[in-house]
Amino acid sequence: MYRYDEFDTRVVYARVRQFSDQVARRLDGSLTEEQFRPLRLMNGLYLQLHAYMLRVAIPYGTLNSAQFRQLAHIADTYDKGYGHITTRQNMQFNWPELPDVPQILRDLADVEMHCFQTSGNCIRNVTSDPYAGAAADEIKDPRPTAELLRQWSTIHPEFTFLPRKFKIAVVGSPNDRAVIRSHDIGIEIVKQEDAIGYHILVGGGLGRTPIIGQTLRAFCPTDELLPYLEATMRVYNRYGRRDNKYKARIKILVQETGIEEFRAQVDAEYAKLVPSEIGVSNAERERIAAYFAPPDYEDLPPVSTVFESAKESDPGFKAWADNNLVLHRQSGYAIVNISLKPQQRAPGDIDSTQMRLVADLAARFSFDELRTTHQQNLVLPHVRLDDLAAIYAELKAKGLHENNIGLISDIICCPGMDFCALATARSIPVSQAIHERFSDPARQRAIGEMQIKISGCINACGHHHIGHIGILGLEKAGVEFYQVKLGGDSSEETRLGDITGPGFSHDELLDGIERLVERYMETRTEGERFIDTYKRIGLAPFKEVLYVDF
Amino acid sequence: MSTLKHKGKGPQSLTANLLRGGYSVWLTEDFGWSQDFADALKTEDTDLMERMQAIGNRDVDANEIVGLYFIDIEPDSGLPVRYREKFRVRGPSYDTADLIDQPSAESA
Repeated sequence: MYRYDEFDTRVVYARVRQFSDQVARRLDGSLTEEQFRPLRLMNGLYLQLHAYMLRVAIPYGTLNSAQFRQLAHIADTYDKGYGHITTRQNMQFNWPELPDVPQILRDLADVEMHCFQTSGNCIRNVTSDPYAGAAADEIKDPRPTAELLRQWSTIHPEFTFLPRKFKIAVVGSPNDRAVIRSHDIGIEIVKQEDAIGYHILVGGGLGRTPIIGQTLRAFCPTDELLPYLEATMRVYNRYGRRDNKYKARIKILVQETGIEEFRAQVDAEYAKLVPSEIGVSNAERERIAAYFAPPDYEDLPPVSTVFESAKESDPGFKAWADNNLVLHRQSGYAIVNISLKPQQRAPGDIDSTQMRLVADLAARFSFDELRTTHQQNLVLPHVRLDDLAAIYAELKAKGLHENNIGLISDIICCPGMDFCALATARSIPVSQAIHERFSDPARQRAIGEMQIKISGCINACGHHHIGHIGILGLEKAGVEFYQVKLGGDSSEETRLGDITGPGFSHDELLDGIERLVERYMETRTEGERFIDTYKRIGLAPFKEVLYVDF
Repeated sequence: MSTLKHKGKGPQSLTANLLRGGYSVWLTEDFGWSQDFADALKTEDTDLMERMQAIGNRDVDANEIVGLYFIDIEPDSGLPVRYREKFRVRGPSYDTADLIDQPSAESA
């Protein structure tokens, strides 16, 4: 993991002092709310529906155990004992009080964390593949690139007041586990002959105008990345609309300009730059990459008798292992997904006791590393097969053993009207009701991979546009209703879901999903996932059963 | 602060958030602020509303509250008209804080 250098430390503590002073001046009236609001937002502090909300940055979703314990401490000391993992791999606290926030930032700084750029019209926290450095399909670890971008974009003076917020995601595998085609800029590490470089996509996004990102540059050499991104940002900063916030994202600029013309503008800007003034040296890239060197793995056989016999003796462990583990690049190791989707709780919520447990497990069994995922779950990236049964037993003792990763109850869900000031309807109760309806684990496994994504408003924080089944909560005359999209795909084959038609009440929605699942199961061919069947037969057969009662 | 426009017709209440805690509050009949909507002053008297606004402005200036605005009230139920405001009154229908220390997954 990257450790702060002297510069990082100085910047973070300077920001703590600065914001402490700003909070003090707000409380004594030296600053008005109008003056203070942009300052608090620059530090991730929102005023939500019922209270303040603080969003903590988790750079590319990577944490060590000390950092996760500190988040547990913050949850207990300044909040209500839990935190919420967001769809951009960050953690939110729903109930902090303003006078406590400076001390929270100080506590975060003590473990090399902060809330920079988790709000506002700047380059937001860079996200990445939660399996980075562990995935068997990886071309190259994306974390050094994500870290380079973190350093480049942090308090970048030119890009602190962009037309609108700006989100970047990086992957190092052909399988997209970071939704890069739905980001303002998506970066895929690729190999061209023997050279490693970047496939750069631009203009993706969800929200009220969902658009899939397009290729801006098919292969960008490693040493050109920062200057090329700088040129791209400058074009956006110059031509992005500032007169209408709903048309201010880069996706609108690219759509209105056309990708060819936009690329020409970037190339023209790039030609004016002196790359060496912006880019970093090979030595600096290697210095950063060294922090992400593979851990000191043991030389282990690919099969563990301890693991295999534990599966034979404990069906619960076997079900969990079959569903929540992913092949690791290192023989004798596994990637462990920890589901934060138990039926009774909001997707992505984790209490402080559970945080401390996962921190301990990371320290003891995963080289002190854990990850947050955009699916609002956690990952222990490097676990010996021999240790899996012990980990499962400890997770089970704290209610973290749900074996539903990638299944119908592994729902992405925004906070919705229960917490969010922008929401138009609730989303958490809908996710819980769907989970309850499909609570039978055997049935979930029979259905197979299924991504349901729920947003409580058109801003689409719950990624409903790219859910196999996407649900959008709206409200009319005091009644919540839910629109359904079908066939969305968040993978490297990104596809926006098709709008089905009029919305449903909460109960109608549950019955409709039941019928969609039945239609899929009676129609699928051998090995087909829901999304495969949908792509094969299209909207009509599903729409027919969805609206059977209309 | 609400981004939705209220009609400003019929009974009204005045709402805001506490500056320090951030919690939703409503102006009471004795011109204090309560986190319990049951205590809220509801009126159609335009003179009284002007006074409420003046008191609200005073407390904004005194750095006690932020995001001051009037909300429409249903005459029959006494609840806010807008769905969003009903939620501010009720609080979240779900909060993980209510479940802490309870096992969160039962299935093996």
